[in-house]
Amino acid sequence: MKFAIAVFSPAHAPSSRRALRYAEAVLAGGHEIARLFFYQDGVHSASANVVTPQDELDVAGQWRAFIETNQLDAVVCIAAALRRGVLDEAEASRYQRPAVNLPKPWELSGLGQLHEAAQVADRLVCFGGD
Amino acid sequence: MTKSLLIISRQAPWNGPSAREALDIALAGGAFDLPLGMLFLDDGVFQLAADQQPSAVQQKNLAANLQALPMFGVEELFACSHSLARRGLAADTLALPVQVLDDAALAALIARFDQVVTL
Amino acid sequence: MTTLHVIAHSPFGDERLASCLRLLGTDDALLLCGDAVYALRSGSEPHRLLQAAGLARRLFALEEDVQARAVANELAKAVDYAGFVELSLHYDKVNSWL
Repeated sequence: MKFAIAVFSPAHAPSSRRALRYAEAVLAGGHEIARLFFYQDGVHSASANVVTPQDELDVAGQWRAFIETNQLDAVVCIAAALRRGVLDEAEASRYQRPAVNLPKPWELSGLGQLHEAAQVADRLVCFGGD
Repeated sequence: MTKSLLIISRQAPWNGPSAREALDIALAGGAFDLPLGMLFLDDGVFQLAADQQPSAVQQKNLAANLQALPMFGVEELFACSHSLARRGLAADTLALPVQVLDDAALAALIARFDQVVTL
Repeated sequence: MTTLHVIAHSPFGDERLASCLRLLGTDDALLLCGDAVYALRSGSEPHRLLQAAGLARRLFALEEDVQARAVANELAKAVDYAGFVELSLHYDKVNSWL
């Protein structure tokens, strides 16, 4: 079965960690993740600039590793990202901002990608709100 | 076959970007001609209050965008009667033409959509 | 179509649980995770609300959250993440009350 998983909260939020553990369980169960979509404060889960204390869980780092290892399609909503100062090289250059904090493997794109994922997937599961 | 999506908007209009970002999901889906519905629930019904002046808090006019929903093909608009009543909002004073539904009708509404997003 | 509703917020001073229970279909289920598992504390108002809702085998809780918070859970069936994924497929769709 195909899953679309949407994350609406930053890396330090319990729901972001929960989304990651859920996503891992989806793959462990032999299912497919059609797309991960990061919206609202979920764009911060994709930030390359998050620094967690050594004795705490690096959820942002774990998301990145999970996406890279499993070669998943991970989209960050561009409108939500810009508003929150999460920029890739192209956008930082376009708006002349001093920092690039959205690395590969994430891609900036529009809400159309969330809708496409919802159409393709058997289940759309959202995490966030905290 | 195209899957239908119900967007449930629960946040008050000037409590951060949530109300607008829920609406953006609806408008994006409408632009792709997807079968969508939008339900205003809990504090989300405050988005429907008439005569709001967002410029007083230096915000954009959300009502104008809400009113654009039918133009984007999103005509299925609903509000929870319990949420309205609890907040002293009379159904006939709302700024947007919505179907006001009671709890049983809302349960049936949620049941008939293929996907749901609540924010 | 049936829905698995997911709530992650504390029921104290928050409307999500009450609203969800009002809208819950007769074949829908509810999964409590995060601080929502506090609703399982016996003697509390949300616990009474859950009991009154008579969800029987349609009430679930994420085990790790019950454990972390030392909540004595008698009402909900505890599930792990594999169980959460299974529930997502057993019901026709998932509605997270963000």
